[in-house]
Parts: sequence; C-alpha cells; structure tokens
Amino acid sequence: MQSFAEQNRSAAATVEGEFQAIYDDIREGRFERGLALMAGLSSILSGLEVGYEHYRAGYGNPIMYSPVLLSGVLTGVGIWASFGGKAGRKALRITSAITLLDSVTGFCFHIRGIQRKPGGWRIPIVNIVMGPPIFAPLLFGTSAYLGLLGSYMRRGDAPESDNIAARQGAIGTNWKQELREGRFQKHVAAVTVFWSFFSGFEACYSHYKNNFKYKVQWTPVLLTPVLMATAAASIPSRTVAKKILPAVSIVTIANGSIGFYYHARGIVRRPGGLKKWIYNVMYGPPIFAPLLFAACGTLGLLASILRREPK
Amino acid sequence: MRRFRDTDEVDYCIVGVGSAGGVLLQRLSRAGFQVVGIEAGPFWDTERDWVSDEKGSHQLYWTDLRITGGEHPLSLGENNSGKGVGGGSVHWAAFAPRFHPSDFRVYTEDGVGADWPISYDDLKPYYELLEREIPIAGPAYFPWGDPHGYPYGPHPMGGVGNSLIRGCTKLGIRVSAGGPVAILSGSRGDRPHCIYRGFCIQGCKVGAKASTLITHVPNALESGGEVRDCSMASRIELGPDRRVKGVHYFDREGREHFQKAKAVIVSGYAIETPRLLLNSACPGFSAGLANSSGTLGRYLMAQAGNVILGRFDHLVRLYKAPPAHAMTEEFYETDPKRGFARGFAIQTVGPLPIAFAKQMMVAKGAWGWGMRRVMMDYNHWSSIAVLGEILPWADNRVELASETDQFGIPVAKVTFNLHDNDKKLIEFGKNKVMEVMWAAGAEDVVQEDRYAHLVGASRMGSDPETSVVDRFGRTHDIANLFVCDGSVLPTQGSANPGLTIQALAARTADYLISQGDRIFNSNSRDMTQPPIRYNLSPPGTFWKGMPRMT
Amino acid sequence: MNGASTGRKSLPIDPNTHEPLPPVRQPGYYPGYSTLAQQTFWDAKTRSVILHRVNHTPPIRFFDSEQAALMKAVCDRIIPQDDRDPAYRIPIVNYIDERLHEDKIDGFRYENMPADRDVYRLGLQAIDMLAQDRGGLRFVNLDARRQDEVLKSIHDGNAPAAQEIWNHMSIQRFWKGLVSDCASAYYSHPWAWDEIGFGGPAYPRGYMRLEGGEPEPWEVDEVRYEWQTPPDSLSDVYEPAGGDSEQKGHPGQGGTH
Repeated sequence: MQSFAEQNRSAAATVEGEFQAIYDDIREGRFERGLALMAGLSSILSGLEVGYEHYRAGYGNPIMYSPVLLSGVLTGVGIWASFGGKAGRKALRITSAITLLDSVTGFCFHIRGIQRKPGGWRIPIVNIVMGPPIFAPLLFGTSAYLGLLGSYMRRGDAPESDNIAARQGAIGTNWKQELREGRFQKHVAAVTVFWSFFSGFEACYSHYKNNFKYKVQWTPVLLTPVLMATAAASIPSRTVAKKILPAVSIVTIANGSIGFYYHARGIVRRPGGLKKWIYNVMYGPPIFAPLLFAACGTLGLLASILRREPK
Repeated sequence: MRRFRDTDEVDYCIVGVGSAGGVLLQRLSRAGFQVVGIEAGPFWDTERDWVSDEKGSHQLYWTDLRITGGEHPLSLGENNSGKGVGGGSVHWAAFAPRFHPSDFRVYTEDGVGADWPISYDDLKPYYELLEREIPIAGPAYFPWGDPHGYPYGPHPMGGVGNSLIRGCTKLGIRVSAGGPVAILSGSRGDRPHCIYRGFCIQGCKVGAKASTLITHVPNALESGGEVRDCSMASRIELGPDRRVKGVHYFDREGREHFQKAKAVIVSGYAIETPRLLLNSACPGFSAGLANSSGTLGRYLMAQAGNVILGRFDHLVRLYKAPPAHAMTEEFYETDPKRGFARGFAIQTVGPLPIAFAKQMMVAKGAWGWGMRRVMMDYNHWSSIAVLGEILPWADNRVELASETDQFGIPVAKVTFNLHDNDKKLIEFGKNKVMEVMWAAGAEDVVQEDRYAHLVGASRMGSDPETSVVDRFGRTHDIANLFVCDGSVLPTQGSANPGLTIQALAARTADYLISQGDRIFNSNSRDMTQPPIRYNLSPPGTFWKGMPRMT
Repeated sequence: MNGASTGRKSLPIDPNTHEPLPPVRQPGYYPGYSTLAQQTFWDAKTRSVILHRVNHTPPIRFFDSEQAALMKAVCDRIIPQDDRDPAYRIPIVNYIDERLHEDKIDGFRYENMPADRDVYRLGLQAIDMLAQDRGGLRFVNLDARRQDEVLKSIHDGNAPAAQEIWNHMSIQRFWKGLVSDCASAYYSHPWAWDEIGFGGPAYPRGYMRLEGGEPEPWEVDEVRYEWQTPPDSLSDVYEPAGGDSEQKGHPGQGGTH
C-alpha cells in the first residue's frame, strides 16, 4: 500500500510530467492547436471591446464594422483550426493575415481621427486621450498575430524526424522552418516589446485621464518600461530571456489580473452600478484593458519558453 | 449658392430657416423645386462668428423687443428663440426625445388639451428617418413611450448626469444615460464628435451638436436652394383670388423687397409665425392672415422648466460635458393618483457662471457677499431640471403690441398664465426632482421657477373652426399658405420639441412634393398621406450608425 | 478704477484671527488658477472677444457723472469687491453702461415695466430717495451698513419711501434686473472665472476629466478657506426676494434649456 506521501509524489510527478510535455511541445513548436485556440478565444475579448467602443462612436464610418466582423470570423476559424485540420490551418492563416491588415488600416484611421479632432495634433494630449484610442487597433491585431504564428507551426503530432528532415531539405534556415520548430524566441521577445508599449501607453493615458486618482493606477505605467526593457534585453541575451523575462512576465500577468479586479469594482461602484451595467461597462474603466495588459505578460512568458533562433 | 431675383416667381418661399425651415428647404430643393429661405438673422460662419463664451453668444438669440405679460410672464429670447440660419437648433441643448403615442390624443385620454389630427404612427417613420439624418446619440433601448433605440451610442457622463443617475437609481426610477441628444458621440463625415466642453447652448463651434445649419442647409444649397439671410419678413401679400403672392421683407440695409412665390411656408416659430400672420392682416382677413378661426396666436405653450440645484460636498464641475446628457421620462404619462393630467420629464442642465448666478439670485435670493460666497462654490453644485407639460389654453397667446421694431413692424405681445392643472404639475414635478437631488446626496437643495421652449399659437387640427392649419400644415383658409414649425403643435408633451418639429417638416415636405404642381394652381385639398420618401435625406446619412434595434 | 473713493474698509474677516483678510489679486478657492493663462488654447475669435473685455474698459456713455457715481456705489454693494486688489476689480458699471448705451436688451420687456434705460434712470432716483429717507444723505455718502439697508429694503420689496417710483415699475423686477446685470458683468470676466474655478473658453481644446470633479491638468484643485462676511454687511443672508406674491413670481432667464 502506498503512503499518502508516495501517492502525492507520484501525482506530482504526473503533473510535472504533463507540464514538462507541454513545455517541450511549446519549445518544439508543437502547440499550434493551442495557439489557434488562444487566437480564437482572445479574439472574442477584442471583438467585444472593439464592438462596444465602436458602438459608442456610433459606427459613423462603415469600416468600423470590419474589426467586429473579422473578430467573429477569427474566433470561429481559430476554434476550427484548433481541431488540427489542414483546411482550418489554411483558413486561420488567411483570416489572421486579413485581420492584421485590418488592424493596421484601423491604426491609420485612428491617427486620422485624432488629426481631425478640433485642434488636431496642435493639442495632442487632449486629442489622444479623447480621440479614437491610437494603439487600440494594433492591440486588436494580437489575436490575429497569434493565429498567424499558430498557422505556421508544425502540427502537434508531427514526427520527431520532421525536424531533421526539414533541416536537411533546407540548407541554412528560413523563418518558416524556425517558426515550425518553435525557434523564434527573439522574434516573440521583440513583439512583446512593441505590444507592451502599446498597452502600457493606453494604460498611461487612460489613467492620466482619470487623474491617477488611485496610486495603483501608476503600476502598469511603471511596469511597462521594465517589461519592455527585459523583453528587449532578451533579444541579445539568452540569460535575460531565461531568467528575468519569466519573472517580469508573471508580475505583469498578476498586475493585469489585479487591474481587472479594480476595473470590475470601478464599474460596480459607478452611479447606477449594476443596474446600469451595460452603460457602466461602456463608460466605466475599460474592463478588458487590464487583460490585454496581462496578455503582454503571457507573450513574454511564451518568449521565455521558446527556443532561440539559431545564430 | 444660387440667387433668385425678387421678380422670379419661385415655387416656395420659406420664412425662417431654423429647425423646420432648414429641413423644408433641403427637401424641397432636393426634389427640384425653386426655393428661397428668408431668414431674419445672419448665415453663420461658425468659426468666425461664434465664441466659446457665455456673454459673447448673445447674438444667437432673438433679442429684438417683445412685450411679455400675464400672470406668469415668460422671459423670451435667450432660452427659447434663435435668430440666424439654424434658428433655435443653433442654441438648443439638443435633447431629442420623441413624443409619446399618448401625446397625440391628450383630449381623448384625459379630457384636457387637444387631440392631434395625426397619430404617433403617422410621424414614427419620420422620427426614425430624422434620428438618422441628424443623427441622435442615445441608449440602444429607450424604454418610454414607443420604446426604441438610437443610431449613435450614448455619451459619457458628466458630474450632473452622475447625480441624476445616482438619485434615480436610489429611488428606483429608470433613467437614460448619455442621451438621447443630437450630439455626435462618434465623428461622422466632416463633423467631429463632441469634445465635452459644455457650451452647447452658446452654439457648437465643434460641429458635433446638430443644427440644421450643418445638417440640412448645406445640402439645400448644393441642391439649388437659396438662403437669403439678414432679411426680415414683414408681410405676406394676399391676392384677390385669396391666394398668397409672395413675401415683403427688409434686407440688411433696411430696403424693402417683395419676393414673388407660388406658395409660402411660414417657419418662424411660436412667436414670429403668428406675429407675421397677424401683421399680414388685409381686407378679408382683418384679424390676421389665415385667422378666420380666431385661434391664430392662441394656445401658446411653454414647458415648465424648473431648475433644481443641489450643493454637494464633493466637486461636481457642472460646466463640463454637454448640459444635456441624462434624463428620465418615468413620470411622462398621466397618473390619476397624482391629481392632475399629463406629466413631466427630468433632465440634466448645465448652467455656465452667468446663468448660474441668476439662478442663485432667484432660488436663494443671493446678492452682495452672499452672491460672492455661493458663486465661489459654483463647482460644488449640480443642476437637474423638470420639463413639464403645460396644457394649451386659449388665453395664452401672441398678439401685436403698439410698439414697433427697428423696421417699424409691430412687435409681439405675449400673454401667459398658468392654470390649475399646470400649477399642480409643476408643484409635483419640482418636489420629485428635489427628492432625486436629495437622494443623490445633496446637502442643500433649492429651486428656481422657469420655463423652457415655446410651441403652439398656430395649431393644427381637423376642424377649421378651432385650428389654423390642417394635418399637413396647410392653412385652412388659404390653399397656398403653409405653416410648418413648432407653432403648429396642438399639445407639447414633456419632450423637447426639436426632433418633432424636424420630423413634421420632413413629413410636410413629402406631402408638398407628392402634390407637385397642384399646390400652385389648385385650391382643392388632397388629404391622403403620401408615402415616406427615403431618397431625400442629405447624402451620406444612410449607411451610418447602428442598425436599428426595434 | 474702483470707487473705494471713501477709502472705507469693508473686508471679509478671518474667523480664526478675527482680523480682516487683506485684499488679494484673486480671492476664491483656486489659488494660482488662471483661465487667461490658457488663451493659447482658445480659438482666435474667442480670444479676441475675451481679451477685448479684459483690456478695454468701456467708457461711461449712458450714465451722467452723478448717476455713474451712484451706480458705482450700488454695484459695490451688490457685487462687493473690497476683497480684491484694486487693480483686479471688475468694472461692472462700465459693462452695464455699455449695454444701456447700445440699448441691447435680452429680447423682451415686461408689460408693466418701462424700457431698460428708463428702469435705470428711475431706479437710481428711487435709491437716492430711500437713502435720503434713511439717513438724510445721498446713497454715495451713506456708510456701508446704511447702503446695505437701502438695498435690502428693495430686495425685500418693502421700500415705501420711493413708492412714487414703484408706481411706475415693479420693485421686484427692478431689483432682479439690477442684480442680474451686475452678476452678468462680473461673472463674464476671466478674473471671476478664476475665482470660482470655472474652466473658461473651451474650444478647440475641450475637457478630458468629466466625472468626479477632477481638475484638468491645467486646472487646479480646490483649496478652501474660511471667511466671514464683513460685519457692516447685510447681504450674507439667503432669503428669496420678498414682496407681494403676484410680482414675486420671477421665472429664470439665463439660458439653460
């Protein structure tokens, strides 16, 4: 009869083994299904956010419907691709590419929107704070980006030899092959730098709009440069990527989660509270924004797990 | 812009290019008619003429002399009539709710006031159309009257709206946050969205708040219509065939002109419309043109607009955000338990310092050091207003005074008295709003009597004995003379009249267009309602905004 | 430019020290706040209108010198400015004079009231009659307390010594018109906006912090202090203007909706 301790140990070993397997899969680039699912699910969040943000603005330009529609499509395709079919993969790649294009287009429109506000770029602070959120369209592209990555990765059940065979086929390496094999740590680290900048910038001006009424509102603003610096340092330095980046990323995820709680609380505490929940979700603290900030942490974590590109 | 000559006999001459006049001008010229709009005030260049300043915006209002009297005299000008292209829509606070279905049958339901010759359903498609053309921002579901949603999303709250919402929520009163207002919550075409500066009633320099000056008049000019500004109409000329021939007016240099027209539409609002018709008295119509019924100038209505001011311990800064951004119509309909007919709405207002000082003078009796002290607390006060339905009474009327204006035209004399039902309604309404203000957490609550909006005085009806115009705005007496503005309203509900006036104008325009030349050469009346035309909206207004929810 | 001709002191009192608070450049709870400092963020037209208001005090053209002196004394009690540094007092009388000189009206006249110009001519006569009745002196020569008594009797609608004037016009409407005009003149000035913490012109730059009374980055937080009304004043009591009920009904005028 096994003792409890032994049972626990073996259970722990199993769990540990599971984690190890997932970890290995990620390192080897065998998580295309997981990534597709992530793309699909995160697209629900960004779709909801862009949906209500554009609703606030009355869909004054028909193009404002495009991200809402695309995020719905991306959700469907992401889930489809997570079943591992070839067609799903292909569809995910196309949808993600279109969505990324849409997000860049949106970015241009938002810049134009700020420019067209009274005073335009002559009063940049007020118009950035009160105009269309400048980096929101690029943040919206996050899910599509994940989807695109997923669509290029090798399949979770790809044979071990796939690696070598492919290597032999292609003298030298190309980016596609590296993606397939999960060798794109630097790449994801670089992306983390950009995305945490966008997200941190939004936190900065939104909290500025709120006059930094609560001290805690400074935390994402202060954390952003740290995450950016760490992720940037991870590009040249393997040590930073392996040792410091995960820690900072986890702090970021925790910060985002706490922010989510505070934002939810802020919504409940608004005049009308839950009785006017739709209105208060729209005009209270943006409920999904801290989650997007946490997503930057997740991206950093992903970077730290991945293998580095060969020199 | 096209310029007609006085000697050109245009199809329509519209007197007054305001809320109704702007829409009519746009519709009729788009349909291919030759139309001139004669406007007493200037054609605004918003960047050059308007200021972001309370005192400096006086020019937007009709500040020429009028005499006011009666037991409860109305103050005129500043808060209820505009001068210049866009008219009152230039300085409205832009609340744009629809009337309720019950408003159209007040007499049938409550035995007071009057019934309209049309029903809510006749006007509903025009409400929907104009809400999109203007457009209106508001909640996706507005629960009162005929429940509906708005094409643009609601606005964020300012300090005043928050106190209304807090108070109402505490008392279990449903409240609408962020609209319905004719202010863009998102940009549309060249019009930027609101910058929440709080100067709505000083004229929106931003272009976010709708006025016909920016929503309809530009398309009217593109379609060949003419706006003749700084032209004060003095008299409508009647021919021996009992058809009108055109309009006499003074230009900006004070020279008199006569514009020939096949038909005339008067859109001068509740004071100037009856004034012009009374001043056009002639043999056969000695009591005023189209006044065989004797009701011209009568049944003038203002809404009760008591402002309730509450002082809060925390800062409110009520000058931020549009004055109009939250409201409730929970008390709109008749409730027999209250002991009076009809009801009221509760709405946010946002007085700037001068208006606020005057309110403190009336509400608290402030002057001297007391005025200085209470004004230093300006940022601690919040302000919520009653918008109460005052019924149409024959003795509330517009007449001509013995004084004349700068052109020598007799000015209007306005008489206004509150009746028993009105007094009860006001008393109940202001107490209810005070209750809301206390519930919101105010530590001092005072109130000021005041009135808002002016409608009636040339009302529409089926019976030529008791009304001036028919259901399409055509005067009962003269086949080619129309009235289309707030003065045709038989009752006023507790909704701000702007949207209804524009919807009525679009409906009248559809009628005129469907009648074609018959208006110009026949005295017969076709009373069938024409189908609504969706192809006459200003371009670029169709595919914009949310799909309608209801 | 302020009359303070008699040099009399009628200053608010610090409740802690019981000493008069010395006149300052900017009273109110927003120290250092200046709307004029934001003028680069205003549109050109608004800037020119406001700067003209601040930099060009209109000359007295409607009132004669005696009337002007009396108006000055009256306005000094209706909107007292003794707590302001004399260089930062707002020329209320000049703005009222300008309106009357240009004969600008609000768009209406009560049927039982003369035209605005006559209202002021008659009203000033009435004030001097009341002053004579009370102290045998012209209003300008009364002390602050007596002046407030005269004005309060009009506020209360109980000033029989000038009944012959009130037979021509309503005492309440005269009072409300006078206080309205003074308040409109004073609170149209940027210095008054700074005093009460109003944001001033706001185009093309609007507001960001709409809720919770939060100040914009260029506004300042409220810093309250206690002050007592000068002991020789009667105007710190809030009671609605009195008089017979028919005339009392004075609906608001300032545009709100």
